[in-house]
Amino acid sequence: MTSQTHTGQTIIDPPEDGHFRNGSTNQPSPTTLSLHLTINGRDHALEVEPRVTLLDALRERLALTGTKKGCDQGQCGACTVHVDGERVLACLTLAAQVEGRSITTIEGLADEDGTLNAVQAAFLEQDAFQCGYCTPGQIMSAVACIREGHAGSDEEIREYMAGNLCRCGAYPHIVAAVRQAAKELRS
Amino acid sequence: MKDFSYLRADSVEAARNAAALPGAMLLAGGTTLVDLAKCGVAEPSTVIDISHIEGLNAIDVTADRAVIGALAKMSQVADHAAVKSHFPAVSEALWQAASAQLRNMATIGGNLMQRTRCPYFRDPQNFPACNKRSPGSGCSAIGGVTRGHAVLGTSEACIATYPGDLAIALVAFDAEVDLGERKLKVEDFFLAPGATAEQEHDIRPGEVITAIEIPGSAATRRSTYLKIRDRQSYEFAAASAAVGLELESDGRTIRDIRVALGGVATKPWRARAVEEALKGKSLEEDIVRKASELAMEGAVDHGANHYKIALAPRVVARAVLELGETA
Amino acid sequence: MTVHDMKHAASDSARLEAVGGRLSRVDGPAKITGAAKYAFEQQLEGLAHAVLVGATIAAGKVTAIDTRAAETAPGVLAVLTPGSIMELKGASDWFGRPPAEETYCPLVREVTFSGQHVAAVVAETFEQAVAAAALVKVWYDETPAIVDLSDGSDGIPIDAMTKEWGDAQAAFAAAPVRVCAAYNTPREFQAAMEPHGLIARWEGDALTIWEPSQWLDGMARTYAEWFGVPFENVRLVSPYIGGGFGSKALALAHSAVAAAAAKMLGRPVKLVLNRPQNFTSYGGRAATRQTVAIGADREGRIQSIVHRGVNETAVDGMWVEPLGSVTSIMYATPNFSSKQNVVRVNTVVPGAKRAPGENPSAFGIECAIDELAYELGIDPLEMRLINYAEQDPEAKKAWSTRQLREAFAAGAEAFGWAKRSPAPRSMRDGHQLIGWGVAAGTYPVRRAYGEAMVKLLADGSAEVESSSIDMGQGTYTILAQTAAETLGVPVKQVSVKLGDSRLARAGVTGGSRLAGVMTGAVYKAAGQALDELIGLALSDPRSPFHGLQANTLVVKDGRIASPRGDGPEISIPELMGTLGREKIEAKGDTVPASFTPQQRYNNYTTIATAIPHTEGDYSRHSWCAHFVEVRVDEDFGTVRVSRVVSALDSGRLYNPKLAESQWKGGIIMGIGQALLEEGIVDRRHGRIVNGNLADYMLPTNADIPDIQTISVGIPDPHSSALGGKGVGELGIVGVAPAIANAVFHATGKRVRDLPITLEKLI
Repeated sequence: MTSQTHTGQTIIDPPEDGHFRNGSTNQPSPTTLSLHLTINGRDHALEVEPRVTLLDALRERLALTGTKKGCDQGQCGACTVHVDGERVLACLTLAAQVEGRSITTIEGLADEDGTLNAVQAAFLEQDAFQCGYCTPGQIMSAVACIREGHAGSDEEIREYMAGNLCRCGAYPHIVAAVRQAAKELRS
Repeated sequence: MKDFSYLRADSVEAARNAAALPGAMLLAGGTTLVDLAKCGVAEPSTVIDISHIEGLNAIDVTADRAVIGALAKMSQVADHAAVKSHFPAVSEALWQAASAQLRNMATIGGNLMQRTRCPYFRDPQNFPACNKRSPGSGCSAIGGVTRGHAVLGTSEACIATYPGDLAIALVAFDAEVDLGERKLKVEDFFLAPGATAEQEHDIRPGEVITAIEIPGSAATRRSTYLKIRDRQSYEFAAASAAVGLELESDGRTIRDIRVALGGVATKPWRARAVEEALKGKSLEEDIVRKASELAMEGAVDHGANHYKIALAPRVVARAVLELGETA
Repeated sequence: MTVHDMKHAASDSARLEAVGGRLSRVDGPAKITGAAKYAFEQQLEGLAHAVLVGATIAAGKVTAIDTRAAETAPGVLAVLTPGSIMELKGASDWFGRPPAEETYCPLVREVTFSGQHVAAVVAETFEQAVAAAALVKVWYDETPAIVDLSDGSDGIPIDAMTKEWGDAQAAFAAAPVRVCAAYNTPREFQAAMEPHGLIARWEGDALTIWEPSQWLDGMARTYAEWFGVPFENVRLVSPYIGGGFGSKALALAHSAVAAAAAKMLGRPVKLVLNRPQNFTSYGGRAATRQTVAIGADREGRIQSIVHRGVNETAVDGMWVEPLGSVTSIMYATPNFSSKQNVVRVNTVVPGAKRAPGENPSAFGIECAIDELAYELGIDPLEMRLINYAEQDPEAKKAWSTRQLREAFAAGAEAFGWAKRSPAPRSMRDGHQLIGWGVAAGTYPVRRAYGEAMVKLLADGSAEVESSSIDMGQGTYTILAQTAAETLGVPVKQVSVKLGDSRLARAGVTGGSRLAGVMTGAVYKAAGQALDELIGLALSDPRSPFHGLQANTLVVKDGRIASPRGDGPEISIPELMGTLGREKIEAKGDTVPASFTPQQRYNNYTTIATAIPHTEGDYSRHSWCAHFVEVRVDEDFGTVRVSRVVSALDSGRLYNPKLAESQWKGGIIMGIGQALLEEGIVDRRHGRIVNGNLADYMLPTNADIPDIQTISVGIPDPHSSALGGKGVGELGIVGVAPAIANAVFHATGKRVRDLPITLEKLI
């Protein structure tokens, strides 16, 4: 038996005796997990069921409502956050899965002193949003898009920002904002 | 979503053991499993998180062979320089799939386990009949809204389209999936519905995909993936084609050609009849168009998806012809 | 209630701050940092979560509901059914007409559409509520459903929609050139990125609702009537709205369920519709069918238009999508006839989606005129000018302003229309067939009476308060600009509070009326506040201006002085200090003095007091012309819009930067309508099968080219206090026909059924 516990949950190694440590049978039962999530550089402890998504953990448990729920099924991009610097959808990510990773949300994008990220500033200047609901996801996506090197042309920006729907129709201004921020970040 | 137990596996062996638990399902990127759990389609009693296993995401590519670890992300493979140069169709199939965010989450192994987007399959509350979900319950799609459904490889049990892109390229180039104890052709890994629509993959309890391997050739180096859809991006294919081409030294005569279809069949669909018809032939538009029609041999439509029978051969022909124009 | 500080906006120059300046969105900093808390993001102690159970049949009766499994599921607080939810009272409709039924139950026993709410589960957590809702078992006695327009009869004639002059039938029959075709639009959805939902909290008989709302006072009235509490007891809070497009103006069945659950449990309850429920819980645009027949002489002059329309409505509700609204005013015609029917089908009652009526109406007439142009071999743009309506053909009144000729000219110039090759299929780039199309659009100027509170504070800052809302149109920003300009204070000193029904009242935000109504009200209230300040400055013995031989004073950049420049100049804080005033506040309104308190109440809580756009001597509308280039793949039939130039007349623009964004947003929604969007019904089940954002396709960024908009408007004093006309609805009108016309030019195929999907072209 070489199972070990790690922040309150069980990591499975091959069971030598046919029993997992956290239960008397082979079938572990659902339990609440004690998680520590690193969000915007801070540690957050929370008790959640395994089925709780990162999105609902942020919005319903941690009062970090900047990350938006648009479709809750991977079809709109409003819940885009960064995990270890990569843009992902929080609605299809289990909170438990990202323990040990570094999570960045829209609330963590500006500097501590409130200085806006170049993408945020460009969104304001270019009027790249209207209702603002898709905007945190657009901005998180745009920051990653530039970092990935996928903001080389307007055509490339459009393709690599296509995973963030905007019903107000700010797309041309989003392209302009990403183009502007990419240029500023390169110089 | 029903509640489940969550377990992290930190080795392939641990994953294999856990995967054998009744009701256990593997979680890698989560883009299929979490989605289907929300739909009420997947009801795991235990979720085995394999995303933290180290060493399973290597991408090892030479001109002769690509070996891609099961946990490599779609985006990593799409952007990989050697994949782009030696296996362009693979890169193109990947970057045209889903969205940048989903490609950052979804793994290559998980991608092979992607399920159909059939709206009836995805809505158990409103459409209890689905042979894929509950064998013998019937097919709600037949007689329903079928615009996206398959015209090839269908059965009376199921007409659901295989939705993925990567596997189309894998099937075209004879890639293999590594299940640890055994390796099999990706083409054989996917199962057409027949009378057993619930069986989509040749994978056994306790098996875990660890890698895919793609043999390199002149045809993989000169390859492309053409995807046609209503929307310019972030949509599944109405019809797609992965094509690889090798020409004789005259630059006109086809020595080797690979063709596989997406968006039109119940599984990634190799179009061997097209390949056979074109081998040794000259790369001319009328010849290519005529041969491409053979891709639809045996096609059966269900009304609203009739257009796919006309569309798919045109996609094949365009892909072949444009590939022929590249140096 | 939301206050925006102007720290970031302040970097714009003073010129940008005035009305008409390109000031950046003042609510922008909150939105780009995630600080903006939308309605149902409020954090409340003891919040419970409700999830709805929808009917899986389209018509029939609920015969039994088994709630046992759900009730015993972990965390479940209550399972509500038609039998167990508290009884509500019927509420009046949006015209203020009393309810047909005395009581109201938002969970139904008689199912009239698939997805209709039959039960709800309330639990401690969202996840528990979702899981338990799946355990509720419902049995039905299903009856045949009417699935869509083709299933019904001719429907119910809506006589109020009939418009006729001359003898249209005879003139059409006698015309030497005739076109006649049918144009169809499918069921479409608003699909705002923020789903519908709310948090409801009771404290005694006082109800607070945090809910995205286009109409706080109207919805508060509905809640008050449902629960039999005074209007003043209901507070609606809606600081930001994540898109509405017409869908968020009414309190709906799910709203009632949440408020009732909160009352029954004595806990605040949050209920948010999941994305599929957003396709079945409230209506999108009704599916429509029209026939348009145009008779013309050989020079292209229209002799007659005969128009017949039908839209779907619900079995248990009435929606009329006015299909003749553009048909009757766009072109001069001596003979005209338009009639409309509705057909009841088993659907949730359709509702308002961007430019209800005008949008599908324009699709019919603007495609038909294009067909007539080809029939006659006349350039489609020239065709429109030949039939230019110099006055409102229907109302027989002068236009207040109509810069449509200017729009055609400016758009054509910027687009390069003169270089167009007239024949279909005559322009191509490789496999891509290129087509250029044009169409016009219009939207009436909807006017109403409004009020606003303006406060001038001792520190020289100003506050604007209104229960109107900002769902992205820029209300926060343009009201700050209006107050700043009127008061003579820097815009960074102005804070705007919106989205709380405790503030000065406001009618519905819809039909592009808000900007005109609210800038007028703020202009008036600010003027009153300024008058009071100046009056005090001149009359108060403590004031340095006391005794100055002047009738008035001027205030600029927060400093007050005599208009001649003689005498003192001091800042507002200095003056307020001298006067010993903490604040000067003025509630200004544009409501007729004759209105009784009941009429004032109705003015804000119903749409009964809206002012007709043809009142008095003028007919008031905004106008536009869209020029579109499409690329159609000759093998695949895929259509991509590669260029759009639109010239628009919205009168004076209060903030061109924000107006351009709204126009482009409308154009982009029109591209979706033309090429992608269609609610697809499974005819066996009467159910939408693509009720999600992957299968009901909105345009992505990759589908949208750069879009050029040109303002050709001039101030229209007949339309609003400050000269503006409508902006938000206008942009979408005419886009779909411009694209359909471009597709015809590209391919030679006339597609009259939206959306124009690839199978219609291969």
